Amino acid sequence: MTATYVYGLTYADVTPPNDLIGVDGAPVEVVTCGDLAALVSAAPTERPLGTRDDLLSHERVVDAVARTATVLPMRFGSVIERFGVVDELLAPHLEELGATLSELDGQVQYTVKGQYVREVVLREIVESDQEIAALNDKVRDEPEERVYQERVRLGELVVGELEELRHREGAVAHERLSALASSAIVRSSPDPEQMLDSAFLVPRQRAAEFEDAVERLASESTGRVRYRLGGPLAPYDFVAARE
Amino acid sequence: MTVASQRGGGGGVERYTGGGSSGLAEIVEMILDKGLVIDVFVRVSVVGIEILTIDARIVVASVDTFLRFAEATNRLDLYGKGKGGKDLPELMEGVMSSGAKGKTGGVIDAAAEKVGELLGGSNDDDGDDRARRRPRPRERTRERER
Repeated sequence: MTATYVYGLTYADVTPPNDLIGVDGAPVEVVTCGDLAALVSAAPTERPLGTRDDLLSHERVVDAVARTATVLPMRFGSVIERFGVVDELLAPHLEELGATLSELDGQVQYTVKGQYVREVVLREIVESDQEIAALNDKVRDEPEERVYQERVRLGELVVGELEELRHREGAVAHERLSALASSAIVRSSPDPEQMLDSAFLVPRQRAAEFEDAVERLASESTGRVRYRLGGPLAPYDFVAARE
Repeated sequence: MTVASQRGGGGGVERYTGGGSSGLAEIVEMILDKGLVIDVFVRVSVVGIEILTIDARIVVASVDTFLRFAEATNRLDLYGKGKGGKDLPELMEGVMSSGAKGKTGGVIDAAAEKVGELLGGSNDDDGDDRARRRPRPRERTRERER
């Protein structure tokens, strides 16, 4: 009975980078069954998983392999007995897992975030809304406690404007990038200054084109929006949970 | 390692890639709650992760958020805009690092530390100071002031 950590699934002919190590420095092995393979290593049994190093190890293994091959990432913390990798995980699900893998084959995930540059966007809001401008003038030189209600109201109006703006502009940016992707997901962010937070599934041969499109969006935003681009990554957001 | 690229004439995009080059905040967001779930797995071993996920998503809502934005709006230098155009990026650096970005980072840090806490602080420096660094609702402080 040996606890085995499973990082992800890929095709049986995939060779991971040499000396790839996983959780607690254990060497990553490839267990194959039919066309499929599981990326695994020995799992620690004397402690629960969940430290910073565990999270980093999981991501490092998945994305190191995903750099050149298609990987279905497993949920963090997936542990199974060693014999179960083939008997319970791979063999009984070969067809289904193979189908999921082939849907994602040749594609990578990019995660794109656009954060409003506060100084610039708040200025736009104040300059375009008389009520906000008036409230701002009223409270700015008063002691906080004297104008508490007005300050709350000012913030509420500003947040309302930001929400309106980010939904409108975020949708436009999302649409533009979606045109180069085979699938796209809007991830919900509660931050009123986050204009865009989306994941895109992009064919590898379009990766450079996609990256250029993000660069273009950023340069067109003329300093209003700060973009962060993650990827190419394994398709974390495009692997659905299945029972 | 995060590589900032400056292609495309001034519209710099911050970049990160996977495979061991990203920071913890990125990783947490990237992998938690994601990935294939198959019922054959034993997931009892991941103490604390569910809580962490919830924690990371908590953004102090309503009054505190409103006051934060009221303050940021108050701080705008509306009268210096004519001459101050060029200084904006520098100004912005300060606002970003102490403002929203810093806050988000704090929440994620705190959440990550929560894991350490739940695991009984297996990593020596993960356990320290976590109470101090946890975000606190500010309404309470304010009410006392009033």
